[in-house]
Amino acid sequence: MGHDHGATVSPSENMEAFLNGLWKQNPVFVQVLGTCPTMAITNSARNAVAMGLATLFVLVFSNMLISMVRRLVQKQVRIATYILIIATFVTMVDYIIKAVSIDVYKALGPFIALIVVNCIILGRAEAFAGKNPVWQSILDGFGMGIGFFIALFCLGSVREILGAGTLFGFSLFGSNFQPWVLFLLPSGGFFTLASWLLVFAWWKERGKAKEAQA
Amino acid sequence: MNTTAPRADMPPSSALIKLMGVVSLICGLLIVTTHQQTLAPIRHNQEIILSETVAELLPGAKKQVSYGVDASGNLSIVEGAEFAGPRLFAGYDAYGGLIGVVIEGGERGYADVIRAMFAYSPQKKAIVGFKVTELKETPGLGDKISSDKKFLSNFKDLDASLEHPIVTVKSGTKKNRWEVDAISGATISSRAVGRLLQKSTKEMIPVIQRNLQRIERGN
Repeated sequence: MGHDHGATVSPSENMEAFLNGLWKQNPVFVQVLGTCPTMAITNSARNAVAMGLATLFVLVFSNMLISMVRRLVQKQVRIATYILIIATFVTMVDYIIKAVSIDVYKALGPFIALIVVNCIILGRAEAFAGKNPVWQSILDGFGMGIGFFIALFCLGSVREILGAGTLFGFSLFGSNFQPWVLFLLPSGGFFTLASWLLVFAWWKERGKAKEAQA
Repeated sequence: MNTTAPRADMPPSSALIKLMGVVSLICGLLIVTTHQQTLAPIRHNQEIILSETVAELLPGAKKQVSYGVDASGNLSIVEGAEFAGPRLFAGYDAYGGLIGVVIEGGERGYADVIRAMFAYSPQKKAIVGFKVTELKETPGLGDKISSDKKFLSNFKDLDASLEHPIVTVKSGTKKNRWEVDAISGATISSRAVGRLLQKSTKEMIPVIQRNLQRIERGN
């Protein structure tokens, strides 16, 4: 995919850069990357949304800056440079979340700082932003970020609905509902992720079968 | 002697240092700008949470005064979060009568430092409310110290006269007013709460007693 020659990029290539992360190469459901924060903070839909937005912000801006300086960065120091840029945007997002909502900041805890070592972000820097033009790198960041956001929300909402009987704190089943607390615990996270992976695998197989029939 | 010659494709170190310097400068500017822009709302949020906690711990408090405590135990009224040292929060009813004083404290728990605020009543010489403000204890076990009703009932009237040290005792064995009944399965966190209260009361209650008339006047 890499073409670092500053030539114009067709709209279809731009669209492909965006859609790749969203669906075909979804970081959690297809590449199974970033599972540590995925498990740790998806015990409620609100935390999942906050972490998804924080990661989206870091992905888009770090991809943009890395792509802007890609011609200047020597290969010997590229990883150090990427980490420095990623850490900068993580620090910024840390301040922003603290300014917007202390409750969300407390809920996400150390996982905000750990976005620095989220392999999705460094992976996109190395595999895409360091080799591609700025606009395409931004779209790739958006695609991967929204893909990660969707995955976190899928997990967070299921875990909150089953584990607490609520969604975004609003009660769904009334006072007689007996919550499955297991879903709020780490084991529930693994179980939910496995179920979603199963759904995705089934979907993929179904598509393949349809293609074969056609 | 075996010497290694520099590789031909290796750029000079000065170029690498220069590059890292420029990138660091850009990153530094971004961080400092964000810090400056978010500092005021962050402090504002922290003060709101603090004020809500004080109101929760001292029900009926219509007015709050925040005192900073300096190294020699002297008090000064502080506004906002500009005071870096320990603080006391006095709560007053609608007629200006002192309801109690909220004290902050911290102690190492199982996973990390547990931070809490508790209300001290100078009239009763007792702790009359307790709230955990920060904890990273094990979910389902240690984190019960912030929600377990039986455990929290320890702090409705816990002796803080300083005649006896506040201690955590085994679950179900509390006999005296200065004892904290531990949660079964969360002994380390429960003990940390006992130590937190003992340490903070030992430090702050003498300060409150020495300055009680001033705190009652609210100046």
